Amino acid sequence: MLKMTDVKKVFRTDLVETHALKDFNLQVGEGDFVAVTGPSGSGKTTFLNIAGLLETFDGGTYELDGQDVSNLNDKHRSQLRNEKIGFIFQGFNLIPDLNLFDNVDVPLRYRGFNSAERKKRIENSLEMVGLAQRMKHLPSQLSGGQQQRVAIARALAGEPRFLLADEPTGNLDTKMANSVMELLKTINDAGTTIIMVTHDADLAKQARRNIYVRDGQVSEL
Amino acid sequence: MKQSQPQTSTNWELGPILRAMLRNKVGAILIALQIAITMTIIVNSVYIIVERNKDMQRDSGIDNENSFYLTSVGFGENFNVPNTVEEDLTMLRALPGVIDAIQTNAVPNSNSGWSMGLKTQSGVEHDAVGTAVYMVDDHGVNALDVEIIAGENFAPSDISLRTVGQVDWPNKTIITKAMAENLFPDINYADVVGKTVYINDIDPMVVVGIIDKLQAPWVNWSNVENVMLSPERQSFKGSRYFIRTEPGMRDTLMNQVEELLANSNNQRLIKGMRSIEETRERSYRGHTAMIKILTTVMVILTIVTALGIVGLASFSVNQRKKQIGTRRALGATQGTIIRYFMFENFLISSIGVLLGAVLTVILNVILVNAFGLDRLDWFYIPIGMLVLWLVGQAAVFGPAKKAANIPPALATRTV
Amino acid sequence: MFNYYIKLAFKSFKRNPILSLLMVTAIALGIGASMTTITVNYLMSANPIPHKSEQLFHIQVDSWDPNNPFNDDDDALPNQLTWTDATNLTHAKKALRQSAMSMSGAIIEPQGSESKPFEASIRLAYTDFFAMFDVPFLYGGPWDNNSDSNREQVVVLSKRTNESVFGGENSIGKDIVIAGRHFQVVGVIDTWEVMPKFYDVNNGPFNETEELFMPFSLKEDLELPNWGNNSCWKSPDGEGYAAFLRSECINTQMWVELPNAQAEADYLDFLNNYVRSQKELGRFPRPLHNRLNDVMEWMERQEVVEEDAKMMMWLSFMFLLVCLLNTIGLLLAKFTGKSSEIGLRLAVGASKADVFKQHIVETACIGLVGGVAGLGLTLVGLQGIKSLYGDFVDDLATLDASMIVVALVIALVSSIAAGLYPTWRACNISPASQLKNQ
Ligand SMILES: Nc1ncnc2c1ncn2[C@@H]1O[C@H](COP(=O)(O)OP(=O)(O)OP(=O)(O)O)[C@@H](O)[C@H]1O
Ligand SMILES: [Mg+2]
Repeated sequence: MLKMTDVKKVFRTDLVETHALKDFNLQVGEGDFVAVTGPSGSGKTTFLNIAGLLETFDGGTYELDGQDVSNLNDKHRSQLRNEKIGFIFQGFNLIPDLNLFDNVDVPLRYRGFNSAERKKRIENSLEMVGLAQRMKHLPSQLSGGQQQRVAIARALAGEPRFLLADEPTGNLDTKMANSVMELLKTINDAGTTIIMVTHDADLAKQARRNIYVRDGQVSEL
Repeated sequence: MKQSQPQTSTNWELGPILRAMLRNKVGAILIALQIAITMTIIVNSVYIIVERNKDMQRDSGIDNENSFYLTSVGFGENFNVPNTVEEDLTMLRALPGVIDAIQTNAVPNSNSGWSMGLKTQSGVEHDAVGTAVYMVDDHGVNALDVEIIAGENFAPSDISLRTVGQVDWPNKTIITKAMAENLFPDINYADVVGKTVYINDIDPMVVVGIIDKLQAPWVNWSNVENVMLSPERQSFKGSRYFIRTEPGMRDTLMNQVEELLANSNNQRLIKGMRSIEETRERSYRGHTAMIKILTTVMVILTIVTALGIVGLASFSVNQRKKQIGTRRALGATQGTIIRYFMFENFLISSIGVLLGAVLTVILNVILVNAFGLDRLDWFYIPIGMLVLWLVGQAAVFGPAKKAANIPPALATRTV
Repeated sequence: MFNYYIKLAFKSFKRNPILSLLMVTAIALGIGASMTTITVNYLMSANPIPHKSEQLFHIQVDSWDPNNPFNDDDDALPNQLTWTDATNLTHAKKALRQSAMSMSGAIIEPQGSESKPFEASIRLAYTDFFAMFDVPFLYGGPWDNNSDSNREQVVVLSKRTNESVFGGENSIGKDIVIAGRHFQVVGVIDTWEVMPKFYDVNNGPFNETEELFMPFSLKEDLELPNWGNNSCWKSPDGEGYAAFLRSECINTQMWVELPNAQAEADYLDFLNNYVRSQKELGRFPRPLHNRLNDVMEWMERQEVVEEDAKMMMWLSFMFLLVCLLNTIGLLLAKFTGKSSEIGLRLAVGASKADVFKQHIVETACIGLVGGVAGLGLTLVGLQGIKSLYGDFVDDLATLDASMIVVALVIALVSSIAAGLYPTWRACNISPASQLKNQ
């Protein structure tokens, strides 16, 4: 499903070389729910970015869905992201000028669905996160938890195989965090593979599997 | 696994772009207005430039490159004009390189000359057609490099001598084809030969010949091709000589002639030696200047507008960095991002050029009423719209490219 | 506080150098273009004789063709007078001062073998010309009334002519040969260039002053050529120069000085009576229609300001408008970019007025810098105009103190106007929205 072997990532700036990932090895199976924890700066986001094809890597191999993605060009990677991967961000990353409907619409447009199909999917996914009534609202008119749910709706609308979340609850209070977690579990139960980076040990425990990243390497718990 | 069939058609995101734009109206309106006014100025300027250029390109009828003229002013007590003119012309015509030389009262395109009115019927109550008058002898046609297309040239015996204050006119004239058609709109110009026209309301002149084309002295006169030749030499204190040379000989001859004339008689002075080229350059200086100024204005204006678009677009790219990263993360290709900004600009420009089309027509109507310009030809407007569209697209391309290079990882790296 | 705002403005300038530079350039270009055309228009429409322009009148009488008006304009009167009327009216002496005048030219033959004969332009006028128009004299003065009536061969030289003929020395009383006759120099005028040359706009409103001045009455004696515009609706009765002078052809200008409204009204009455008496002689076939135009009315009527100059001025205003729209857009961008800073200032207790002042000062600074740069561009623009149009516009393309002030005021006013909306937007940022995440 997702298989990283000896993946390396080096960030070079003028002064320093940061080895963000060193021989990173991980295999995630179909339908899994992996929680990633680790100290700050250990390489969690870097791993997630590489997994989600947001960033390239400098060594090792990475197979996504049985396909070697090491040497894909940018366009190809964009398409794969669009079709197979859904993202949830710590800062929600909703587009402030667009209402909820248009926000969820964004990845579907890139997918090239026709408008009827898009409308159906947007309504379904907003329904699922309980915000169908507020389709015409702007992100600024929602609370943080609601915004994150819209982000989840947006990630799900394309029916991705993988859902990648970087501290999805980082900006939310415990209650909101729990409700988002419940939502993710429901989604996972429906068959979507989830990888979630979190600092919250309680939330991590609720995942099927926990991995711990330290110094750019995995140590399974 | 569920799998939906993606559509193959490209998605332009018209709806979301429009809705996002409506939420940031002011920026879009400012750019649209700039484009509209820029288009208004540019289209009208181009139109003015083209019109002025057309004026300058008109055929003067004479040999612009190889003609020059000068004035000889006598001042001594015993200065005899007719004799001097006869001597001068004989000498000038014999000079190697001179094709022909004449005495004339005025020079085409020089902005100073004589005008008269000709009538087809005798009497003060009839309307006259205004015309420039060149008084020339039988060498006039050759020196002015015009062609007789009907009738015939003056004969040497037709030439009379005009004195200061003389009011009557010779009984023959040669007119331009344009003048013939203005006088007798209903008949073929060739049939005008032999007709009698009236000068000074009642003095008859017979049209003996028609010449193809010759311009009046006043380049901005609406009837600049209304010209008549009168078979006369003049016994005025100042005699103007018009000389046509063989190609390439003009400048040498100008020097030579000045010296020859000055030395041949110390009771006169030679002034106003000037080539037709220079004369035309002076007469059209206002046009040339206007063309250059408008061109400069157009170029600077286009740059200002383009830079404005670049500035605002760069700014909006900077503002939307996170959003762009997010879009990339959600599957937008670099091409999609470029297309997004280009299309957004296209929409704004479209509003701009549509408004610009209206403003262009309004400004043109104002110019027509206030400054007597001609009406704009319709096709300037679509061309202007197209150009401004392209300017907008070119200007936004850089910032759009910059946007496309924003890494998708930005989505997770910024909060 | 003001200094603090200035400091902030410069900080902000430095933080967004490209955006700021773009704004300054836009304003500078707009100001440069408009100031160039405003200057040319301003000088073209300048009052050439401000202290008495309302007491000097150009006379128009309708002596034209019974069948056709002078031109298509309803209100049109001939723009000059016949020699006959101008002389009659001058001799009537019904105004405080009066002079018929016209332009001519003749050859000057300097004594002594070195200098060659040359042609000079002549202003033919009556002695009142000099007092009426306040012509400054370097040596001597105008000829007297007797010289006018006795057709004495006296002449007033321009400073330049005096230099080329007499080497610039005091030449009063000296002899000079003009048009083959001996003249006595009675005066040399100092530099006198009126802009526009209002007393004879037909012959180029921006041409130079004539090189010689001599009694108008000599025109007939010397049969001096007509250098100015001459228009006829009827050919002269008879041959020769005298017949030409006495014809219905118009080639003479006529100015009078009338010190007050009463004198003006009286003069118009006199003029109407004169025309009535001429009608009895069979002249003036058109309806009675005469007019007195003061200097500025005459400039207006004669459309002294070139159409191209006017057109260019309007186009340059539109250009300025584009530049300002540009600036508004860029300011908006700049201030939006600063919205978190503004939010913070509001949150820590700045009032809206404070924020408003801060940004207006910033805008004004940009406007001022743009204005100064615009002045530089104006000089470049005027230089360009000179090189394109040639010498005759030299005096039309100079920047005086009042124009510099105008430029800076326009720059300030327009940039502040451009800054109002962006500033207003900046002030209305809610402090809360900036502190909230996202
Ligand atoms: N673009 C970059 N350029 C240089 N170094 C980078 C870049 N992005 C990340 N790094 C470095 O790579 C290392 C791993 O960063 P990463 O963001 O993956 O950490 P993290 O585990 O997600 O930390 P946190 O829990 O604080 O989010 C860090 O040392 C970081 O400074
Ligand atoms: Mg991280």
